[in-house]
Amino acid sequence: MKRFWHAREFSTVAILVAEVLFFTWYLWPEAGRDHSFVTKENFLLIFKYSSIYGIAAIGAAIVIISGGVDLSPGAVIALTTVVTGYCFVQLGWPLWASASAGIAVGALAGLVSAWLIVRVGLPAFIATLGVMGIWRGTAFIVTQARFFDLSAQLPANWHVVGVSIDWLGPIVMIGLAGVFQILTTQYQWGRGVFAVGGNETAALFSGIPVNRIKTSAYVLSGLLAAVSGVVLAIVQGQGKADLATGYELDIIASAVVGGASLAGGRGSVAGAVLGALIFGVLRNALVQIPGATFYDRLIVGVVVIVIVVMDQLLLRRQAKL
Amino acid sequence: MALLEFHDVHKSFGAVRALRGVSFAVTAGEAHACIGENGAGKSTLLKILAGIVRPDRGEVRLNGEPLHFNRPREALARGIGMVFQERLAFPNLTVAANIFAGREIVGRGGRLDEAAMRARTRALLDDLHLPIAPDVRMEHVSAAHAQLVQVARALAFDCRVLVLDEPTTSLTDGEVDQLFRVLGKLRAAGVTLLFVSHRLPEVFRLCDQITVLRDGACVGTFARAGTTPDAMVRAMVGREPPERRARPAAAAGAAPALAIRRLSRRPWFQDVSIDVRPGEIVGLFGLVGSGRTELLETVFGLARAEAGTLAVGGTPASFRSAREAARAGLAFVPEDRQRLGLFFNLNLRHNLALPRAVKRGAIRLDEREEAGLAQAQIDRLSIRATSIAQMPDALSGGNQQKLVVGKWLATDPTVLLLDEPTKGVDVGAKFEIHNIIRGNAARGMACLIVSSDLPEVLAIADRIVVMREGRVRGELPGAGATEEAVMSLAAHSAS
Repeated sequence: MKRFWHAREFSTVAILVAEVLFFTWYLWPEAGRDHSFVTKENFLLIFKYSSIYGIAAIGAAIVIISGGVDLSPGAVIALTTVVTGYCFVQLGWPLWASASAGIAVGALAGLVSAWLIVRVGLPAFIATLGVMGIWRGTAFIVTQARFFDLSAQLPANWHVVGVSIDWLGPIVMIGLAGVFQILTTQYQWGRGVFAVGGNETAALFSGIPVNRIKTSAYVLSGLLAAVSGVVLAIVQGQGKADLATGYELDIIASAVVGGASLAGGRGSVAGAVLGALIFGVLRNALVQIPGATFYDRLIVGVVVIVIVVMDQLLLRRQAKL
Repeated sequence: MALLEFHDVHKSFGAVRALRGVSFAVTAGEAHACIGENGAGKSTLLKILAGIVRPDRGEVRLNGEPLHFNRPREALARGIGMVFQERLAFPNLTVAANIFAGREIVGRGGRLDEAAMRARTRALLDDLHLPIAPDVRMEHVSAAHAQLVQVARALAFDCRVLVLDEPTTSLTDGEVDQLFRVLGKLRAAGVTLLFVSHRLPEVFRLCDQITVLRDGACVGTFARAGTTPDAMVRAMVGREPPERRARPAAAAGAAPALAIRRLSRRPWFQDVSIDVRPGEIVGLFGLVGSGRTELLETVFGLARAEAGTLAVGGTPASFRSAREAARAGLAFVPEDRQRLGLFFNLNLRHNLALPRAVKRGAIRLDEREEAGLAQAQIDRLSIRATSIAQMPDALSGGNQQKLVVGKWLATDPTVLLLDEPTKGVDVGAKFEIHNIIRGNAARGMACLIVSSDLPEVLAIADRIVVMREGRVRGELPGAGATEEAVMSLAAHSAS
């Protein structure tokens, strides 16, 4: 059984490696010129931008495994950049306090979704669709068509304990992915998340605190989206209401490409982060291919479908064995 | 002394009074059955015991102490193990994870101790002689084994009382024997059993005391030694079981309404030939996996045959879809009414009128006609429903099954195919469904019934066709056939 799990994540890694090899070949430069794709700077760039989706995708994977769905992370990311920017620029709070305020607002946003779903009994799709509008709207109301310019007050070429701030996103993403991968696979809470997503009635009959687990999933989703938002605010240097528009679909797609099933009960945090990297590489490389920019969304859409269909076929073959 | 005692338990769901003062006691060490028709209140009682539903009034006492159930964990903690029906498994988790779901063994720092759970699971499965690996995911485990995994789950923690809810529904006879051997061992070890079922032969085989529930109230508790299955049926139904009506035999010489000739669809069945004449009830008996369901599905156009022919009313036919089959006068009542038989998002009127509309290819629906049709079916089949606007999930299992039969009878079929028409329904509904089938046969309908319930086949069929491993192995006249004769055809070893 363990082998199957490994196989699923292994296949995501294999897709990522194949993708990198393909673009390395496709973008091979003419003799005497530098490779535009295979450079340390470019890989850092890929990691940096993937981490914005990737951190939120951890939360999305948890929600999807528990049998739900969260459409609000894009809006929560935007709201977090605005709250962090407001505290930092307008109120003059230190950065750590501004970031904490942003993350607290994200967790609160998740709690509102959880309340609507668990207590009021709304379907997750509807509840988070509504909540998405509320937070995006709140961000617009707070900013009033302006934006908070954090970059002016952040040190240029900023290093924290000798590491460039560019590495903030990737380090946070990998660190959180490790923590939540272990929590979901090796701890009772994680087993509960899988159980609730696999069969909610059975979970209830087994004495699993179903409501608490669902609540924790949405709160984490909000919280991790907020972490994405803080990273975005610092990296981009802005707190702005129209940031991260449409990200929710990329975030969900990352989790799904990484093996999460929208039927619930299946998926992994590590897979979701790998899924985010698959999209990150794709976006980065397409920009470098002349004329491919217009095909970006189309190719991303096709890739989602192809990977998930392949996964289905794989599952079906396993079931027959 | 009473180990587990229900005292004046009341529970209502809205206007429905599910339990109205149930009191009975289970003595330590005995095997106690709780029987009743679907809707008698058995499942509500179990949910109260499991702490999922709170009673409105009354209490449950364990060892004389009242239980204050807030969560299922509490029931488990106090030594009550519950074995629910197999659909309460986690398909996405391993067998070991299923057994320990909600009560995982944790090591230092709250980390799951997978090795310990796997070892304990292996020991439990070995005790039950179950050839399953602890690491297999539950979705790859057969229904029967899944049921036994639920028993293992209850036993994973010391339990003094083991409650089993319809544990044999999806088991074959051999697997039932295996389960009962395990239960026998547990009783010898001092575990008290509460067995909820409506399968009387099993109840009489396993239990010493039988409590009968009817309409949410306790009819009484009877000692097995002092009662009979017939008396229990009367207690459950609250009336005498209807007598079997004599029926004129179908005209033997009539041309077949349905002629199946050398039909094959490997690996499920091959070379099957069966005739069903107008007014005749043919029972198709066989063990699970003998290819009967697949045969009916193929006849009804849900799958394509590789070889062979069909004729309906003497006209050769080959259906590419269920719609074509319905238009030719066939009707098919599938086995799984929850999944294949009813639309739970549509009310009774829509459910009942749908096949007829499909058969006619109606574009616009005539509400008035639909309503009339639905009401007529409800009256004709005496479906217990308050109105045709009700949703099917408000009905008991037996009435849901009548609904599935009714929606197909509304198409005025000449050939009625039924797959396990009384599976999971209570005794009263079973008699009624048999009478519906007999009544339609008497009006000239040709009926082909797949059933794994041997007494049922013997009771209802004019002719019994036995299938084994995808082939017809023999045919017996219904009158005078014995269980032994049918079984020996169905279970003959392949050697």
